[in-house]
Amino acid sequence: MKKLHTILFVLFCSLILTLSIRGIPGNPNTLTMNEQRWTEDGPLELSPERGRFALLYSLVEDKSPYFSVPVARLALPDLGYHNQKYVSLFAPGLSYLTSPGYMIGKYFGASQLGTFAVVALFALINAWLVYRISVILGARRWASYLAGITFLFATPAFAYAVTLYQHHLTTFLLLCSIYLLLRFKGLAPLSFVWFLIAISIPLDYPNLLILLPVGIYALKRIVWVENSVKNWSFHVSPAGIITLFGVLPPLLFFLWFNNWSYGNPLQFSGTVSSVKAIDETGKPSTPISYSPEPVVNESTNEPKPKKSVVRFFNPRNLLDGLVIHLFSIDRGMLIYTPVMFLSIFGIILLGHQFSAVMTLFVATIGSTLLLYAMWGDPWGGWAFGSRYLIPVYSVLAIGIAIVLSHWRKNIFFLICFFLLFLYSASVSTLGAITSNRNPPSKEIDALSLLTGRNEEKTYDRNITILKVNKSKSFVFQTEGYKYVNAQTYYILLVSLIGISAFTWLILLFKQKLSE
Amino acid sequence: MKLLQKTYSIQIPKAHFDGVLSLLNKHAHLVIAVILSCISIYYFNTYLQNNLGLAYNDARSHLDIGRRVVEGLKPGLAQLGSVWLPLNHILMVPLIWHDWMWHSGFAGAIQSMIGFVASGLVIYYIMKELRVGMLGRLVGVAVFAANINILYLQSTAMTELFLIATMTIGVYELILWHKHDNVLYLIRSAFWIMLASLTRYDGWFLLGYASVLVAIQSWKISGFRSVEGKSILFLTLAAFGIMLWLLWNLLIFKDPLYFALGPFSAHAQQLQLEQAGELATKYNLWLSIQTYMYAVFYNTYTFPTLLALIGFFVMLRDRVISGAVKISASALFAPLLFNILALFMGFSVLFIQGINGTSWFNVRYGIMIAPTVAIFIGYLVDRAKGLQWTIIGLLAFVLFFAFANGDAVTIDDARVGSSQKNVSEVSGYLNKHAKDEKGFILISAASHDAIIFSSGLPMKRFIHEGTGLYWENALALPDRWARWIVMRTHDDNDLVWKGVSRVPGFALYQKVASYPFADIYEIDASRSGNLNYDAVLDNSHK
Repeated sequence: MKKLHTILFVLFCSLILTLSIRGIPGNPNTLTMNEQRWTEDGPLELSPERGRFALLYSLVEDKSPYFSVPVARLALPDLGYHNQKYVSLFAPGLSYLTSPGYMIGKYFGASQLGTFAVVALFALINAWLVYRISVILGARRWASYLAGITFLFATPAFAYAVTLYQHHLTTFLLLCSIYLLLRFKGLAPLSFVWFLIAISIPLDYPNLLILLPVGIYALKRIVWVENSVKNWSFHVSPAGIITLFGVLPPLLFFLWFNNWSYGNPLQFSGTVSSVKAIDETGKPSTPISYSPEPVVNESTNEPKPKKSVVRFFNPRNLLDGLVIHLFSIDRGMLIYTPVMFLSIFGIILLGHQFSAVMTLFVATIGSTLLLYAMWGDPWGGWAFGSRYLIPVYSVLAIGIAIVLSHWRKNIFFLICFFLLFLYSASVSTLGAITSNRNPPSKEIDALSLLTGRNEEKTYDRNITILKVNKSKSFVFQTEGYKYVNAQTYYILLVSLIGISAFTWLILLFKQKLSE
Repeated sequence: MKLLQKTYSIQIPKAHFDGVLSLLNKHAHLVIAVILSCISIYYFNTYLQNNLGLAYNDARSHLDIGRRVVEGLKPGLAQLGSVWLPLNHILMVPLIWHDWMWHSGFAGAIQSMIGFVASGLVIYYIMKELRVGMLGRLVGVAVFAANINILYLQSTAMTELFLIATMTIGVYELILWHKHDNVLYLIRSAFWIMLASLTRYDGWFLLGYASVLVAIQSWKISGFRSVEGKSILFLTLAAFGIMLWLLWNLLIFKDPLYFALGPFSAHAQQLQLEQAGELATKYNLWLSIQTYMYAVFYNTYTFPTLLALIGFFVMLRDRVISGAVKISASALFAPLLFNILALFMGFSVLFIQGINGTSWFNVRYGIMIAPTVAIFIGYLVDRAKGLQWTIIGLLAFVLFFAFANGDAVTIDDARVGSSQKNVSEVSGYLNKHAKDEKGFILISAASHDAIIFSSGLPMKRFIHEGTGLYWENALALPDRWARWIVMRTHDDNDLVWKGVSRVPGFALYQKVASYPFADIYEIDASRSGNLNYDAVLDNSHK
């Protein structure tokens, strides 16, 4: 029976993801990939998607990390330039991991859709992992299912499950590592945890810091201290040390790719010179490396420090960053997914029974939140909600399962949860089936001047897209539009999510205390 | 294979640790003092080598004031002036006579360096009084020391670190008095608060706040009669410095409130800013709070302040700590209240880039809350048993990026904000053309102290406001006394321009150089024969 419920849960999540995944039929090639139907108006609407798709295309079709001119144009303005060649500014992990989807999709005449489907698949697994970890930590089954769909459909994670971003893969590595550490005690799972931590680096460099708390937690399986009445005991497991070799394959791959792309195994992609435009002859028109003057800081008249990964994160940004991620109308958790705030109670409750796990969760949430609050662009460019916090939402979702289980008989709390869930899911679905192209408020005025119309802020932009009967959902654009308009399609999706959540909530409420 | 399956263990009896821990407990203050002293010397040397140590315009002015007491055309205590409170300048006197001590800034920085070490120690002791364990205490001290803003300010001839030390020690003694009701602690507290009140006006507010706390506590313990006695005892010493300062102003400037209302006072400067529409915080409480809180967050890297806030609320609910100690510990927030109030009343000016200005100015005021942040973080680490290593890890995480990026808003203020004054061109000119030549330089120290300092010339080469008869004569007959005149042309705020531009002798001067902060005039070579080249006036009666 439990298995059947889980299958139903997975099927339900798959159905919503299928109805929401963005895309259009066809295989983009060098002649068509820069057309608006693929870019601004289509599924590759923003440069992070285009940059990673460009690298994927180049690796699969051209068997090279160096971009041809049309592929380079697709990657603009996030395009690198090294040794007279166009290269990617993005870490290569996502492009490699989604390549099977690209090839399968290409076979069926929908290579872009196939690529996006890989991300959706990881998103689905993440929802399942949220469910599984919640159950391991003592949450009720129905509460755990609710936590799974809360993460997937009631946070900005939804909008990034149906497009080409690294966040769901990062989240997968995080959740899978936690799951393995909680579920298994053996050496093979531990070795796999090291493998997952290492593979996070070529996926997105800051991942190393996001997974650092997990790494420290895992390290306690190798080196640990016991505190008895009379003694301190320090223990080391030699076999555990051997599991650390799990990091080697991903790291070797990473070094090999850097060497192949940039001629130096220790040259990171984000640190090469960038190109913002390409002229008609296919040459870069303004690469930083072409600047005739040494690059100087205008305010101090001193040479600017070299590009470095560490310098992207500065505590001076922290205050504004925290406000943006948590409370701002642009990206704030309060505006996009207020239901997540309920998780704070769950995390506190978790501490009563699983203090070490609670510590791990707080450390993961804290390090990710602080890291991206220090990031120079906390908005994440044009985006829907705080996309950098997607791994945080997954951990918070586990807290949701805990608090729902604890207060499952408290009708007031359940009503509060359901209302907040419904609002959060409604907002998130808006983003998923329309667009992630929401500029920060500070850019709105300039944008209005540029376009000559009154540009809207935050998710009001997505509502406007729906009102003009547009959706980027593959199903809607190929079949759905024949039967319903975009607004109705949206209402149907939200209703499906809402009814399912309500049903699970009723089942949770009715669940007997002894079960 | 069996080797791999085995777990290797080392057991160390806790008794061994007990020895180490008890040794650490016993001598922690020594360990902290030695480590902080090493850090202090290292960072002083670092900022000396990279020429940032004297980036603040005010740092150079402080050093010049100290120097004028021992060297110049009219040396003496009267050179302490009225703009800034005198304690730091008095403390410079034993060292400032030495040219290296003056020009390296060491004569002024040494007080900041001692203040840094003393602050670290008193933070440790306050946490001990709040029943914080060794780990929490060490974390608190580390958070205070691992702050580039603190490390920079302790390396300069500014007053912040010395003020932080005197104020925090004053609060520490006040906490002890609240705890033990021993009058000796009250006297000690009064002494340190008196020193603070002679360092910066922040100390005056602390004096007022502490007086109220003393009155409340006395009343709680023994009724109204005791309030009178304890308050008089406390105020006699604590307000002694302020009384001396008022007397000083009365004797030297004929007005006890000259420091507050005189032409060089902060009040006069604020008036000019207000007329220019740049005193936006005046009578705007929200903007005053916002501005000062931004300064605090930027100076402390935000996250520690947020943790400290949690620590403070946890302490309020702590049943182990007595109500009296909690009330006395509230004095740690006196700098916060003072600065917000000063901004609101228009007594102080602080610019935060992007909030109330396009540049930085006086953003270092936010550092005054650093000891409070350190103490409540230490407290939180101690009380959050399950999460203490997580908190320490996250703090280390943020501080790592702060050091990796060299994030120091105080240095930005000193280098590119309004607190800097790059006078290297004008002072370079003087060094090149006047150093090996005879003749006095007429200049307003109130406007151009940084030029005097940076020129590298001895103080006795300059005729300025504090040189008595030389100043009066040079303004009336510049062609008899000043070979060079340094001033802002057409600016009546520059007292030299205001004086000499209206006398006939000025016609004998030619502008030889023009720079952003001042122009340099030199007397016509054919008239230089009439100049006095030696200090011949008897200045003793003026």
